[in-house]
Amino acid sequence: MLRHSLHRLLLAIPVLFGVLLIGFLLMQVVPTDAAQVRAGPSATPDVVEAIRRDLGLDQPLYVQFGRYLWRLAQGDLGVSIINNVPVSQELGATIGPTLELMAASLIWAIPLGIAMGTFAAYWRGSIADRIIMAFSVAGVSVPVFFLGLLLIWFVGFQWQLLPFTGRAGPVWSWDGFQAIILPAVTLGGVFVGPVARMTRTAVLDVLSADHVRTARAKGLTERLVVLRHALRNALIPVVTLIGLQIGFLLGGAVVTETVFSWPGVGRLAVGAILSSDLPMAQGTIIVLSAGFILVNLLVDVLYAGLDPRMRAA
Amino acid sequence: MSATTVPSAAEAVPPKRAGLLARLLKDPAAALALVFVVLVVAAAVLAPVLAPSDPFDNDLARTMQPPGSPGLPLGADSQGRDMITRLLFGLRVSLVMGVVATGAGGAVGALLGFLAAFYQRWLDGPIMRLMDMMLSFPAILVGLAIAAIFGPGVFSVVLALSISTVPLMARIVRGSALVVMRLDYIEAARAIGMSDARLIWRHLAPNCLSGIFIFATLRFGQVILLGSALSFLGLGAQPPVAELGAMASEGRNFLFFAPHIAVIPCVLIFFVVLAFNVLGDALRDALDPRLRV
Repeated sequence: MLRHSLHRLLLAIPVLFGVLLIGFLLMQVVPTDAAQVRAGPSATPDVVEAIRRDLGLDQPLYVQFGRYLWRLAQGDLGVSIINNVPVSQELGATIGPTLELMAASLIWAIPLGIAMGTFAAYWRGSIADRIIMAFSVAGVSVPVFFLGLLLIWFVGFQWQLLPFTGRAGPVWSWDGFQAIILPAVTLGGVFVGPVARMTRTAVLDVLSADHVRTARAKGLTERLVVLRHALRNALIPVVTLIGLQIGFLLGGAVVTETVFSWPGVGRLAVGAILSSDLPMAQGTIIVLSAGFILVNLLVDVLYAGLDPRMRAA
Repeated sequence: MSATTVPSAAEAVPPKRAGLLARLLKDPAAALALVFVVLVVAAAVLAPVLAPSDPFDNDLARTMQPPGSPGLPLGADSQGRDMITRLLFGLRVSLVMGVVATGAGGAVGALLGFLAAFYQRWLDGPIMRLMDMMLSFPAILVGLAIAAIFGPGVFSVVLALSISTVPLMARIVRGSALVVMRLDYIEAARAIGMSDARLIWRHLAPNCLSGIFIFATLRFGQVILLGSALSFLGLGAQPPVAELGAMASEGRNFLFFAPHIAVIPCVLIFFVVLAFNVLGDALRDALDPRLRV
């Protein structure tokens, strides 16, 4: 298992390097001149030139890339062009809320999806199975922002039950808890369907396996057969598939944050791109990519931990 | 060995294509989805003919008129533009984005998949490692990065969605091509001295078509969904261009006074994506029964 983890870690390094390189090149290919933007539209050429020297933009690309990596290693992601705040500071303030939103979504969506998928697989072909499957196809077809807007309109506006703009403090405070409900229902809502679908397929596979027949033959209760012998084995592919869906979750998070004005990294990234704040856009994209690579790595390792066959490999 | 004993590709292909439509139509959900897709495509193609007015024709006197107002069956948006017209043209932009991204990304991906499978010894490793690296970027991140580089717009969205389609298609095609490569008739075609390009085009590709077709249908729905999300974020189609996600985003500002402006485009996106997903699933069941669960 250790070897497997190391192997995955080694594979992740070139990907991470690629991310950093793309992040760096992003600044190079953009037609806007960073020095000009920083100096403002009315600056004289001398001033722009001085700023260019100051920012090291007059150096060759590989020197700039080296400096950029060196700064990154020190946690320096540059300074926002718009409000002069360090990018790392803004990122530090937004990562927490994004992780909080993702956790609050997964904590109910994954168990519900697994339960629905197992139920549908066990009662394969029944009305309940069909309803669950129809629901899950609808779930992967609904735009995240549609779900969010519907919840805002009904629960937030018409019925005045819950707040729908921004974060109101830590999730354990009453206000903070109330504020995260609608975003978490939105983001988790589009995740239940895929999880249910994957679980159903995996459980169906396992239910027809020999060891399940043996478990039944030796007279175990159906409950034990399904929960201990079928679901437990089915969870291995489900964990992997959920890991693969993290990208989908991330995409949903960006949209959900925008819809609910949730102060997360996704909203920060979109705002930075729309206002041409390149250092901020670059920093957010690098951090989101690196986080994504890290999560994939963790899923891989977790997968090895769950499946004893992988440990030897 | 006489030429007649060489198995032709035609014999190896399951000769069931003729019944595909009939089998699809037997499933009521798939039949409904197919009808809906045909209607939606027709509406998008005929938008200039069908639309009651010009998509940019604003009339401030009818700003935010609710659905059912005289002359405006689906109401008007915040600029007093006819919703039906905007939806028809918005559908057009969304579908074209989907077709171009699925087509371009799918074609490049399929080519890479064929090359990886065909020249397994020396191309498989490098191509698939590259695909793995590309897969480490979710479509939305690619969208953010491309929009940061080229600026928000339809071009950026289409490029991002094409790029994120490439590795997915490459994996699917490589998988089915590897299976076909092991079959006798490929060996036979090689034995009669067929060139690699011809072998890939005439014998390998046609036998991987069903997988490509199923994936493209399912991917089309996802691409529409992702494209509308990027446009909703403001990174795609820019106002005043009518695009479904951008329309929903515009309507969001008037959600409490005129919910129809945001809700109607959302509902349309939902049904279009749903139809392609249902159709893709049904196609998979019909073309590749082994995958049925």
